[in-house]
Amino acid sequence: MAATLKPYLEAVRKTLHASMCLENFPSQVVERHNKPEVEVMSSKELLFTPVVISRNERERVKIEGSINSIRISIAIKQADEIEKILCHKFTNFMMQRAENFFILRRKPIEGYDISFLVTNFHLEQMLKHKLVDFVIHFMEEIDKEVSNLKLAVNTRARISAAEFLQCFN
Amino acid sequence: MSVNTGAKLFRKVDVDQFDEERFVEDAGDDSSAVGPNESEVNNLLAQNRNAEALKAVLNNPPVNTKDQAIKDRCASLVLRVLSAFKVSEMEGAINGLEQPAQDVLMKYLYRGFESPKEAVQSNLLAWHEKLFAVGGYGCIVRVLTDRKTV
Repeated sequence: MAATLKPYLEAVRKTLHASMCLENFPSQVVERHNKPEVEVMSSKELLFTPVVISRNERERVKIEGSINSIRISIAIKQADEIEKILCHKFTNFMMQRAENFFILRRKPIEGYDISFLVTNFHLEQMLKHKLVDFVIHFMEEIDKEVSNLKLAVNTRARISAAEFLQCFN
Repeated sequence: MSVNTGAKLFRKVDVDQFDEERFVEDAGDDSSAVGPNESEVNNLLAQNRNAEALKAVLNNPPVNTKDQAIKDRCASLVLRVLSAFKVSEMEGAINGLEQPAQDVLMKYLYRGFESPKEAVQSNLLAWHEKLFAVGGYGCIVRVLTDRKTV
């Protein structure tokens, strides 16, 4: 299983690097507006072909590019019910605080667990390779984080059950 | 933001369609290019000539047709050819390809990622790595910007 993780992340990294080529582009429809084209989709000529990179059915990344913004959506591995709940809570926690994370999108797109929206303004403020590194690091960490949470939940359940059942001893 | 800000249902007439500078996608429905020669590819595969099979399968990709069934058939054929390779053979095969063929191969790789199958996924990721080593970022960007999908 671990054998495919590295090439998977490498493929994502390269595709991200290639698609993070953004420039300032004011809206063609509304004067003095500047909207991320990948969200408004006002014209087809401004959009890239969306690509998906997948490791298996559950773990995949969708990268949609446009002239002034790209959207990165991640589907996180969820093996069972408890991982589903933990993952949902975790991503929800972050998405409710999206303005503190700059590139985080408030809602994931359909079929994915969490989405990032990078615009040209982010690229002007931040370093491109650091942004790519952040996304890759996030993907590495979230799997670990979810499995750690799961372990913690199980341990806690075991301890509290033991404590509770002691009084019937 | 209020709920109905994005509501466009009350707009009955699409005024943008009269814009002279509106972007129209060129139809380009040329059904003469209908994918690689399937039997030839199968023959080459059966004779274990994988590199030649790869060349044959990337020849004449169905980029101009709108028929999804043809594209699906070609994609599964390409996947079959790709999974016949060992990791050590990939590099030589990629070096034997012309640059346009490399771009087509990259398109097929991303196509393969879209419908993941557990067995071939690690193979595809290995292909992606090797192809990037030869084609570089240009290869990926050409896939992203090309309207003609496989």
